[in-house]
Amino acid sequence: MKGVLLSGGTGSRLRPITHTGPKQLVPVANKPVLEYAIEDLKEAGITEIGVILGNKGRDEIQELLGDGSKYGVDITYIVQGNPLGLAHAAGCARDFVGDDDFVMYLGDNILKSGVTDLVESFEAGDYGAGIALQEVEDPQAFGIADVDDEGNVTQLIEKPDDPPTNLALIGMYVFSPAVFDAIEGLKPSWRGELEITDAIQDLLEDGYEIDSHVVTGWWKDTGKPEDILEANRLVLEDRELKTSGVVEDGAETDGRIELAETAVIEDGAVVRGPVSIAENTTIKRGTYVGPYTSVGANSTLEDIHIENSVVIGDSEITANGRIVDSLLGRGANVGSAKELLPEGRRLVVGENSQLKL
Amino acid sequence: MRIITHTCPACGTVVAANELERNRVMKCPGLGCQEVLRFEDLSEDAREHFREHWDRYQI
Repeated sequence: MKGVLLSGGTGSRLRPITHTGPKQLVPVANKPVLEYAIEDLKEAGITEIGVILGNKGRDEIQELLGDGSKYGVDITYIVQGNPLGLAHAAGCARDFVGDDDFVMYLGDNILKSGVTDLVESFEAGDYGAGIALQEVEDPQAFGIADVDDEGNVTQLIEKPDDPPTNLALIGMYVFSPAVFDAIEGLKPSWRGELEITDAIQDLLEDGYEIDSHVVTGWWKDTGKPEDILEANRLVLEDRELKTSGVVEDGAETDGRIELAETAVIEDGAVVRGPVSIAENTTIKRGTYVGPYTSVGANSTLEDIHIENSVVIGDSEITANGRIVDSLLGRGANVGSAKELLPEGRRLVVGENSQLKL
Repeated sequence: MRIITHTCPACGTVVAANELERNRVMKCPGLGCQEVLRFEDLSEDAREHFREHWDRYQI
């Protein structure tokens, strides 16, 4: 079994964060989203991984993952270039995959339970493909699978008006090499892409059985800022958090706090977990860091009240105010305008930024 | 749709034909690899197929 990890896409819904890097490298609980996928594949016993690169962030992704040895896996890079659809991405991996089965994992997705159960379910039978499903409240908004009593998929329907089930496809698949012939037979859809659901439908029509696995834990597509915050909350809720850094006397801490070895919570600061604070970051006197916040490396926080937020890193946040439900890009600084005249806020805001003042 | 790729002989990075066609001659996108890749590295059959169906490989 091999892994194919999709890391293309423009990240347009995450602008301006993605103006300077790919969406798969946005950190959740101070770890790039893509690393969760690598770890999930490794946990499922998959150590040969093809990473599909699009037109954006190729060098950054290769710099992070390298040859995979630091994760105990072997990585091959596959440059898809134009985003011609998930089936095109899979097709580009044909030479890499060879005659093996493979898991296809969307690199901007995180799921609590990993892919081990999906892989084991697929391997227990003789299937052309296996798909991960999750129950959703609004099936009209998703690609939906109809399944029989044994869990075999009988039909896939894209955003149905009258959904037969509430089981949505969540972007985790296992394929036999038979999918490559199905992909060869596809034509681009109305949006100019080769659709993976069309390839699965063709496998069904060619007589292959399609396994389904219903994912019960949480799953997040981290495509939008609010999704990053939600994923950050879910991961902090679940992950074991270890305090290795310095908590000075007089600092008030409560709950689970991940504090990197070189991070400091100074006297007079208040931190309430679950929180993650990365290396070389200092939480200074007068600061409140509230639950579900991750502060990236090389940052200084002073006088601010911040909660349910992600600070990616290399930031100075020293304003006396409250920041909630926010995503701050790398190197973003928030200072005080208190002493400045004329009175008012001073902003240098990039394209596609969103501010609520 | 036929998906055509080429594997860099130096580092093993796989490159889709649309990427090769767009650049014609390019440095391998594998980080640190100095190999030069060309659209002409594809087989004649693959190049002909790509040219005949060029529009399918654009977005």
